[in-house]
Amino acid sequence: MSENVLNIYEKKAEEMTSTNIITGKDKFTKTSGGFLSLDCNGKHYRRVRIVRLFPFSDAQRYLSVRDHGDSDKEIGIIEDLNSMSEEIQSLINEQLNLSYFTPVISKIYEIKDEYGYAYFRVMTDKGECRFAINMGSNAVTKLSDTRLIIKDVDENRFEIKDVDKLSKKERRMLDLFL
Amino acid sequence: MNLLYKLPSSQEGKIHLSDGEKIYYNVPIDIDEKGNWTEDSFLVVTTFKVHVLREDKITSYDIKDLDSASSEPGVGGGLLTVSINGEDQILAHYSSKHLSRFAYIARGINILISGRFEEVESSEYERICPKCGRVIPGTGICPKCSGNGGFYHILKGFIKPYRKDFFAVFILMVAVAVVTLLNPEVQKRLINDVLQKDGKVSIAMAFVGVMFFLSVSIVLINIAKSIATAKLGSKISADLRKQLFEKYQKLPLSFINDRRPGELLNRITEDTRFISEFIADIFCNLFAVFFIFIWDMIFMLILDWKLALLTISVVPIAGFLMLSLRKTISRIFHVQNRKNDDVASDLQDVISGMRIVKSYGKEYDEAERFKVLSGEFAKVQMRNERFWGLFDFVMSFFMGMGLVIVVFFGGRAVLGNTMSAGELYQFISYTLLLFQYVGWLGRLPREVSRLKSSLERIYDVLAQKVEEESPDVIDMKIKGEITFDHATFGYKSYQPVLENINAVIRPGEMIGIVGASGTGKSTLINLLMRLYETDDGSILVDGHDMKDISKKSYHSQLGVVLQETFLFSGTIIDNIRFSKRDATIAEIIKAAKLANAHEFISKLPDGYNTYVGEKGYTLSGGERQRIAIARAILTDPKILILDEATASLDTESEFMIQKALDRLTSGKTTFAIAHRLSTLKNADRLMVIDGHRIAEIGTHSELLEKKGIYYGLYTAQMK
Repeated sequence: MSENVLNIYEKKAEEMTSTNIITGKDKFTKTSGGFLSLDCNGKHYRRVRIVRLFPFSDAQRYLSVRDHGDSDKEIGIIEDLNSMSEEIQSLINEQLNLSYFTPVISKIYEIKDEYGYAYFRVMTDKGECRFAINMGSNAVTKLSDTRLIIKDVDENRFEIKDVDKLSKKERRMLDLFL
Repeated sequence: MNLLYKLPSSQEGKIHLSDGEKIYYNVPIDIDEKGNWTEDSFLVVTTFKVHVLREDKITSYDIKDLDSASSEPGVGGGLLTVSINGEDQILAHYSSKHLSRFAYIARGINILISGRFEEVESSEYERICPKCGRVIPGTGICPKCSGNGGFYHILKGFIKPYRKDFFAVFILMVAVAVVTLLNPEVQKRLINDVLQKDGKVSIAMAFVGVMFFLSVSIVLINIAKSIATAKLGSKISADLRKQLFEKYQKLPLSFINDRRPGELLNRITEDTRFISEFIADIFCNLFAVFFIFIWDMIFMLILDWKLALLTISVVPIAGFLMLSLRKTISRIFHVQNRKNDDVASDLQDVISGMRIVKSYGKEYDEAERFKVLSGEFAKVQMRNERFWGLFDFVMSFFMGMGLVIVVFFGGRAVLGNTMSAGELYQFISYTLLLFQYVGWLGRLPREVSRLKSSLERIYDVLAQKVEEESPDVIDMKIKGEITFDHATFGYKSYQPVLENINAVIRPGEMIGIVGASGTGKSTLINLLMRLYETDDGSILVDGHDMKDISKKSYHSQLGVVLQETFLFSGTIIDNIRFSKRDATIAEIIKAAKLANAHEFISKLPDGYNTYVGEKGYTLSGGERQRIAIARAILTDPKILILDEATASLDTESEFMIQKALDRLTSGKTTFAIAHRLSTLKNADRLMVIDGHRIAEIGTHSELLEKKGIYYGLYTAQMK
C-alpha cells in the first residue's frame, strides 16, 4: 500500500523534472469567455495561462503554458513563439497582453519632483498617461545600460526600451533616476 | 478606498434601475478592449445586474446567472472574471492602480450572488489624491489638499514647541548684525577725523579701543549664539529621533516591510542629524546674514548711490548664475549619491557573500565588476569636482571684478574730492562684507532643499496613521480556546493568503500545522501573534474577538519560538528575560533547563553572563534556538506558538527538547509548525493547510485513514 504512495512520488519527481515542448500539433482554441483552451497529448485543458519565463530578456521565447486552476501545473513550454503559426501567435499574444500590462514609454513630456515623489507625464504605446513614482525606493530598474523598467506607486510597470533614442531634453529629465 | 465613483454625465443615462434596485459599486476600468488606456469606461454593479460601460456600448449580466466572480492579478494589472455555467468570462481589464479596488468588487459581487445584500467597504487609503493627483503618504487625507502638508506648515509644526529658544537665537543674530555693521563706520571716523586731521594719539587710541571692544563683542555674541543654536539643534533632533522611534514601534509591520531597512534607519540617524546641523550651521546665521545684507546695501547707497548701484549690480548677475546652476547642482549631487549607493551596496553584497564567492572561485570576476562600478562613480565624482572648481572660479571672478570697479571709481572720487578716504575705506569694507555673504546665500538653496527632503521623509513617518487600540479592550486571563471564524487574510488585499479558515481549538490542545511551503502556515501564526489583523471574519479567544482583548494582556500570555531565532545584543540572561522583565534568577534557570539550554550555558566561560548578539559570542543555530525556547516558556504562557522551533537542532537535542516540551505544552494551547512530522507525533490534532484553506484536520489516525495529503506526506517521510 505504502509502496504505491512511493511510486506516486517517483512519478511526481519524474513529472517535475521532465519538460514538454508545445508544438504546432497542439491545438489552442479561444473560449467564449475570452481565454484559451488547449488540446495537448490527448488531454483537453479548459483554460490555460501563458507565463513568460524571461519577461525582460526574452519576452517571446520560453513561454510556460499552465493549467489554470488550483494545481496550476505546467503543461508545456513554447520555445519560440515567432516560429509558431500566425494564428497561434495572435491567440497567444492576446493572452499575454491580458496578463502583462507594461506600457512602453515613447516620449516624456514632463517630470516634476515634489515631496519625494516624481510625477511623470508621458506618451506610451497604450496612449498618453500620468503616473507617480516614489523616489526613495528602487522604482527604476536598469535592465541594461539603456533599458529601464519604472514601477509607479501603484506597481504599474513602464518600460523605456532605449534611453539613447530619447531626446537630450528628455534624457536630462530622466538623469535623476539613472 | 472609493468603490462608488460618480458616472460622467455622458454615461449617466445608460443605467436603468428597476424597483428596489440600487447601484452598489461603480469603479473605473482604465484599459479598453484593445489594451490601451481609457478614461470613460466603468463597471457598475447594481442589486441585480453587472454592467460594463464602454465608450459607446454597454454589456450587462444578470447576477442570478453568475456562478462566481474573481479578480485575477497579473503583471502590471489584472482581470475581473465571472464564471457563467462553468465558463470563465473576462469582464474588465485594469491596471495595477485598481487591483485592490477590483478585489473588493469581486468580493462584493460574490456576496450578491450568494443572495445576501451587504455592501463591501474598504478601509484602505487611496494612493493618489483624486483631487490634485499627488501621492498620499499613507494617510487618509491628502496633506496638500487639506492645507496641512506644505513645507512651511511642516516646518512650523516642527518649530512650534521651541518658540522661546528660536526667539533667543533671533535676538542674538540681530545683535551680531548690528555690531558687524558698526565696525566699518568706526573705522571711517578713525581715518577721516583722526588720521587725516592730525588728531591726537589719545583720540586715536580711544577709537582703537572702541574697535577692540566691538571685535570682542562680535566674538562673544557669536559664541553665545553658537552655543544656543547647537543646543537647540540637538534638542530638536533628539526629540525627533524619539518620536520616530516610538512611531516605528507602533506602525504596522506592513509599513516596515514596504521600506528598505536602511532607509528607515537613515531617517532616524541621518535625517535628524541633518536637521540639527542645519540649525547649527545655517539657521543660526540666516537672519543675521539677511539683516547684514540689507543694511549693508542701504549704507552703501547712502555713502555713494551711484557707486553702490554699480557694485550691487554684480549681485543679481551672481544670483542669476547661482539660481540657474542650482538645478544642475542638485542633479549632479543626486547622481553622485546614487552611484555612491551602488558602490556601497555592491561592496556589502560581495563581502557578506564572501563564502559563496570564494567557494565558486569567482574572486576575479567580482573584482572586475566592482572595478567598473567604482570607475563609474569616480567618473561622476570627477565631473562634479570639475564643475565645482569652475563654479568657484567664476564666482570669485565676479567678486574680484566688483572690487576692481569700487577701487577704480571710488579712487577717482577720492582724488576728485567728492569722497573722503575714510568713506572709501568704509565702502570697500561693506563691499567685501556683501560679497562674503553672496557666497553664503548661494549655498542656501541647496541646504534648504536638503532640509526640505529630510523634513519630508521624517514627516512621511510621523504623519502615518496608526490605529490606536480602542479604549474598550479588556484584560483577561486566557484559558486557551481559539476559534477561527471565516478568517480571511492577505498581505495585499487582492491576494488572499488564507481564505475562510474555520476551526475550533480546545484549551490545552496541541495542533500540528503541516503543508507545503508558501501555503500560509506562517501567516496563520502571524495572525495568532496579532502582527496582522484578519481582513474578513475573526479569531476568537475564549469566545471574545481577539481585537477586543488588550494587546498587552494577550501578548503577556503568549509564548513564541520562531524559525529564525533573533537574539538581541546583550547577555544570555538579558535575552531570556526579554519576555518577562521581572523574572527571578530561579525562574530563568528553570526555563533554561526546560529548554535544554542550561547545560551548554553552564559550559560557557561567562555562563549566563555571556554576551551574545551581533558583536558577541557566536552561538550555533541550535543553541540560539534553545535560548529562544527558554525565552518563550519563561512567562508560562497559555498559548504557545512553535514555528519550526526545533528545526536547527540535532536529533538528540530535538528529542530531549520534545520531552521537555511535552511536559510544558500540557495545559497550554499549542500551535506547532513542522516539516518533520515526527516532531508532531504528540499533537492532538493535525491541520493540513493547502490552497489557502484548511484541507484536512483531525487526529493522526483519522488523517491516515482518509488517505489524503497527510497520508502522502507521512508515508513519504517514514519510508
